[in-house]
Amino acid sequence: MSVAAFTASEPLTLGVELELQLVSTHDFDLAPQADDLLRVLKNHTGAWDVKPEITRSMIEIGTSIQREHGPLVAELHDLRKQLSAGARKLNIAIAGGGTHPFQHWSAQQIYPTERFHYISELYGYLAKQFTVFGQHVHIGCENGDTALWLLHALSRYVPHFIALSASSPYVQGVDTGFDSARLNSVFAFPLSGRAPFALTWDDFGHYFDKMTSTGVVQSMKDFYWDIRPKPEFGTIELRVCDTPLTVDKAAALACYLQCLCRHLREERPFEPAEDDYLVYAFNRFQACRFGLDGEIIDPKTKQRHKLRDDILRTLARIDEHALDLRALDASNLLRDSLFDGNDARGLRARHATGLPLEAAVEWAAHRWMA
Amino acid sequence: MTGLNPLTSSASPPLWTLEGLRGADPVLGLALLMVVAVVLAELLHRHARLPRSCGHMLVGALASPLVLSLLERSELDAWKPLIDLAIAILVFELGTRIRPRWLIDNPPLALTCVLEGALAGLAVAASLALMGVPLLSATVAGTVAMSTSPVITLAVLHESRPRGQVTERLLLMTAVNSVLAMLMLKVWHVVAASVDRDLFATGMNALYVISGSVLLGAACGLLLELLSRRLRGTSAMPVLQIGLVIIASMLAVQWTLSPLLALLVAGMVARSRMRHALTVEPQLGSAGAALSVVLFVCLGLLLTLDDLLKLMPWVVAIVVARAAGKALAVATLARPSGLGWRQAGALTLALQPMSSLAVLLAADTFAWASQLPGMDRAVLQAVLLATSLMQITGPLWTTLALQKVAREADGAS
Repeated sequence: MSVAAFTASEPLTLGVELELQLVSTHDFDLAPQADDLLRVLKNHTGAWDVKPEITRSMIEIGTSIQREHGPLVAELHDLRKQLSAGARKLNIAIAGGGTHPFQHWSAQQIYPTERFHYISELYGYLAKQFTVFGQHVHIGCENGDTALWLLHALSRYVPHFIALSASSPYVQGVDTGFDSARLNSVFAFPLSGRAPFALTWDDFGHYFDKMTSTGVVQSMKDFYWDIRPKPEFGTIELRVCDTPLTVDKAAALACYLQCLCRHLREERPFEPAEDDYLVYAFNRFQACRFGLDGEIIDPKTKQRHKLRDDILRTLARIDEHALDLRALDASNLLRDSLFDGNDARGLRARHATGLPLEAAVEWAAHRWMA
Repeated sequence: MTGLNPLTSSASPPLWTLEGLRGADPVLGLALLMVVAVVLAELLHRHARLPRSCGHMLVGALASPLVLSLLERSELDAWKPLIDLAIAILVFELGTRIRPRWLIDNPPLALTCVLEGALAGLAVAASLALMGVPLLSATVAGTVAMSTSPVITLAVLHESRPRGQVTERLLLMTAVNSVLAMLMLKVWHVVAASVDRDLFATGMNALYVISGSVLLGAACGLLLELLSRRLRGTSAMPVLQIGLVIIASMLAVQWTLSPLLALLVAGMVARSRMRHALTVEPQLGSAGAALSVVLFVCLGLLLTLDDLLKLMPWVVAIVVARAAGKALAVATLARPSGLGWRQAGALTLALQPMSSLAVLLAADTFAWASQLPGMDRAVLQAVLLATSLMQITGPLWTTLALQKVAREADGAS
């Protein structure tokens, strides 16, 4: 099976997918009610999409194709409003956050579709442990070569997105010490991590052919890479973000990626190389473990910086692009969050007051639905 | 079981014989029944997948005058305070599970809650009236038929731990239809008691019962919050909860209010005020669990089959009309309230267990007849028969609905 041809799409268009938690309003544990919510939302108004995810306590929403921050925020607010109304009708709550703080993976139920059953059969308990919640951002590219170049150039900034979006400090009722523990769940999958270093669509096609010939993969869906090409959409997809606690933050992260891509495409500040990945795992770990307080090693200069400082410098560098893309509000929101702390810090602060984790989930749900 | 009870004495037969058991002290007798009930229910649950509460009731039924006559029903009156406490604990727990805000967020659901009870009651009353039953008696039968058993609902929830839309709605509707049935019966009591059918007095009494019960329940919930501030996280919390439940229940009976409504409100107020600080263990812990076994054994003991064949048409009419009324209300408003057809079927099935709670919780004894003055004896017996049938089979319907139809429980327990 060969890789699909890369569908050309308008450069720098973007789309956002958010995996969301459905929680009970009684005990704030996960509620397996995706079917109910999808039924209530069947006749929703808006170009956005809502669909099931691997377990019955999750849903995934996807925006339509967007070009700017303002309309993206407006659409996210609209879908949030309609989702919240649907949830209230069912006496459930919807929350962001990369993990549910105290759910037990064994209690989760696989959503009954052919693909999810296949994943469950293949990966066993890992499928249920995959009840984690991420934000995926798609960026449009005109061809496969550009997409792959951008994909590898962006690898240097992956820790930024992990640290900024981190909202999964708790797993199974315990503080993991990580700001983003979600990515540890993703890492358990054999085809996760980084994409192979190929800078042309032909080279990538050769790699894909070799992989399919081994029987390890059947389609692009089998790759769980941090950033992966989506040839049928004509996009690259960043998959490292935890779902933030608010849609405003989700929109800001998406537009940060858009501005960054414009900066990389137009200014070409560096050329991606295989050796960039020497520090990739370290940088990624630092971002997951320490969030904004982590460190990052520049793959080109080998210099070590505070991640927070690196993001600040990058934000300053792309301000002009943010202005052109009408995304200054997004940049400013992220700038503020560098000092206020990410969502993981917020969740920990709730729990630190002596309130149980149920209260932290309730607070998260209130933030998402309000 | 009467008289004093040396375990073995030359004057009385040995305890391991039927005669010995019949002559044993009622306390010892019930304790023995509890042990047998727990063991037998567990065996039936493992080998026949029968809900444990069914097993407990079966043991009660076996010990009742229906089969072995180990205990007389009148002997249970002495146990009534304890059984009331078991019911009160479950009703309080039900209250903590109710979120009134949902009724505002989903008006079609609020309408369903009222309609399913009302239509069930109307259907029963109409069908009995069509069969020649006096209207007043038919109305009372309909009123009793409105409610779903909170006791059975919670017992099944404790056992199969379902999660989902049908479960949540079942809890809410059980609470609402039980309260509605209780209010209707209160009105009936006043109407039946006043010779000149003084509507003003009736209205005032109903108002007194409702407002008094709500105030008492709210006070109990607030007091629980106040006292628990110093106890949070300690093992004393369940003790405090049980203590306040007893107080609220006793005061409600003493002031001729509704213990059912008071305890539901107490649970709701406690939950809304204490939020995550309120941890209500199922049945308020192991003592409550033991009380629940006693309760189900007693429900089994109270089962009646007298005149079943003679009254069969009325019994069938009550069961079928009640089911039809509930089904019609649930199905009509299923889609507007956000429920699928399969779930509507499951919810209808889960609402079937009948309850004598509306009558008994405010009564002094287990004698139904004294609680419903002026009611035709044959109709009363038909209601008792229908209640018996839908009580002993109730856990089966609810379990079937939640596990197999709605698929909200995996059956593991």
